[in-house]
Amino acid sequence: MKTHRARFRLLAAALPGAASLLLGVCGPFLDVSDAALCPFVVEAFTLGITTGTTATTYSPSDSVNRLQMAAFLSRTVDRSLQRVSRRAAMGRFWTPKNAVDLGLTTVGISPNNVRWDGKDLWIPDRTTSSVYRVRASDGRLLETWTGAPFANDAVIAIGKIFVDGYRAAPGYLSRIDPAAPAGAATVVASNLGAGADGIAFDGSRIWTANQGASVSIVTPGSSIPWTVTTVTLGAAPTGILFDGTAMWVTDYTNGNLLKLNGDGTLLQTIPVGAGAAFFTSDGANLWVPLNGGAATAVVRASNGAVLTTLTGNGQTFPNTAAFDGERILVTNADGNSVSLWRAADLTPLGWVPTGASTYPAGVCSDGINFWITFVSSGQLARF
Amino acid sequence: MRLPAIAVLATASLALGGAASTLATCGPFTDTANDAFCPAVLEIFTLGITTGTTPTTFSPGDNVTRLQMATFLSRTVDGVLKRASPRVISGQFWTPNNAAGVTTLAGANPIGVQSDGADVWTANSGNHTVSRVRASDGKILETWTGAIFPWDVSLARGRVVLTGSGGALYQIDPREAAGSVTTVSTALGVLTYGIAFDGSRYWTVSNTGSVSIVTPASSPPWTVTTVTTGFSSPRGVLYDGANTWVTEDIGKLHKLDSSGAILQTLTFSSGGGSPAFDGTNLWVPLGGDGLAVVRASSAALLATLTGNGLNSPFSAAFDGQRVLVTNFSGGSVSLWKAADMTAAGSFPIGSQPRGACSDGLNFWVTLHGVISPPGGLARF
Repeated sequence: MKTHRARFRLLAAALPGAASLLLGVCGPFLDVSDAALCPFVVEAFTLGITTGTTATTYSPSDSVNRLQMAAFLSRTVDRSLQRVSRRAAMGRFWTPKNAVDLGLTTVGISPNNVRWDGKDLWIPDRTTSSVYRVRASDGRLLETWTGAPFANDAVIAIGKIFVDGYRAAPGYLSRIDPAAPAGAATVVASNLGAGADGIAFDGSRIWTANQGASVSIVTPGSSIPWTVTTVTLGAAPTGILFDGTAMWVTDYTNGNLLKLNGDGTLLQTIPVGAGAAFFTSDGANLWVPLNGGAATAVVRASNGAVLTTLTGNGQTFPNTAAFDGERILVTNADGNSVSLWRAADLTPLGWVPTGASTYPAGVCSDGINFWITFVSSGQLARF
Repeated sequence: MRLPAIAVLATASLALGGAASTLATCGPFTDTANDAFCPAVLEIFTLGITTGTTPTTFSPGDNVTRLQMATFLSRTVDGVLKRASPRVISGQFWTPNNAAGVTTLAGANPIGVQSDGADVWTANSGNHTVSRVRASDGKILETWTGAIFPWDVSLARGRVVLTGSGGALYQIDPREAAGSVTTVSTALGVLTYGIAFDGSRYWTVSNTGSVSIVTPASSPPWTVTTVTTGFSSPRGVLYDGANTWVTEDIGKLHKLDSSGAILQTLTFSSGGGSPAFDGTNLWVPLGGDGLAVVRASSAALLATLTGNGLNSPFSAAFDGQRVLVTNFSGGSVSLWKAADMTAAGSFPIGSQPRGACSDGLNFWVTLHGVISPPGGLARF
């Protein structure tokens, strides 16, 4: 629908609070005379979604072509995400630049992964078979849970913390009740596939990706041990993630991303590159670090298309990816650094060293900070 | 945006599970096919982004003018921000209309306040203490001592760092048991007020005419580089992700480079309190009861807002949707919708409101006029 070209008028702005510099008819624009729609134009200008066709014209009756529309929608999403982030409300517009700026908490000897429960962080440590609970607001170590054999990775679901145990054979699954006093974890299964590594939850069952060429599916029950179904898969299943629709698994050795249905049947094989490791979802795309080289593949979850394979940006044997609503962080374990991208447009945001002999591996976000485990120094870092 | 013309169909809608009021082809619209595009049309109708060209038509084949597009995009941002806000998720649609409940605070004359995501930290200038208050219920968790005239607070690096207006910098490790703060520098200028962090260094400003750049070290004293060129009366400081900004009492706003050199200066009649950044624009409290809105990327002045209860504005804070400004003389706070600079009213809050921050859910305001326990930290 075309409106009539707005008549050119010179009036003082009628904005709330009598803005002194907005001398046009509508904000800075002299050619927008529609009083009912002017506030929306002012908002798009204030947010930086539009700059006008010139500094003083908006050309309100002009049509928008698809190219312009893409720019406007992209800015709309960016501004929305930026303002939705808790980082904005907390005035936190900086990113740590140096290893010394990372707040560190000692957690075990070789912590491999970290997960957030909405308030606290849970860090399994394979060497001590323990799980550490750290408060995200200040990094204080709150609790140490013992007796989770070969504690490797965790998933937080149904009000519990589930931790898998990585071992040649068999793999373990332990349960922690975070409402109970800290003590020993409960082992709920000790017959997972060999080399249980990544762990995920699908709404009712716990899945592990096992380096020994299988995935295990564990159904919570009223009595222990819980029922385990192990399905042969690939050569070295490593990372695993449920994206709300399908279960996804990386096969490290074959360099594939695998899409599974609810019983573990292979639906799709997507070649992504050697060393496909611990990946994450941004809601639309899967970010798969390729630990065999120096790249991260970005895969559209809906159809399995590889959108791009990102190189550079400081990647050195990238290991694990995490998403904070705006940004993707990938740990470079062997490179002692982390790399950042803007998730919405794949723009590199640079990389930051984490310090010599830290070996950053696991990572998660709490919406404000990324939290990274240092396997070599036994620490949890706030980024 | 051009969409292909879609033939008008007159079949009943199957999209909404037989909702009684939506009998047209696509939601309320009789001119829009129930095809692959219909769910998108229904979504922007449900969200209030479009109302249609009439109550029963969407005119799917029409072009969109830039004016209409601005309307759609503006409503899109508003709808997303509203739904993503912790305030909406917790059902908090109200704004306190009267002086807010003042929580106890173990200190006098509080000024700076910052959230760590769970707790709120205040600098109590009157009795040289720092309070840690739990945001969820306002309970005092800890009181730290030994900070002389603490003024402003920064939460970064997993540490709490405070300026002391005598020219000192103090650090707290919030994981440790409450006790005495650690003095990490005494080399800042006299009357050091605001503090900001840029990812590796702290920036502090001295009202006597300098800006100090402080590099943290594993043990005190930290390295301080002080810049004086071009500064006469700095008060507030902020880092926007690219540049550091400094306000001055004489009505100046400076954009600085990473070494502290002035890149650009905006001049106001008088001014410059503690500013806030909303991701796109800076909000700078001004003397003469004004509030400047400045585009960070270009340093262009978008507007100087007046009215809305502004009365000796001191500090600004942003919560994702709204900008709050404390009115030191007015005993009130003023609110604006940040996205379009619309005034959202002013509200009484207590004696000499000074510092402000958001934890995403609530604003927290320090009441400097309160000199003895129970002190003044207001949740708004």
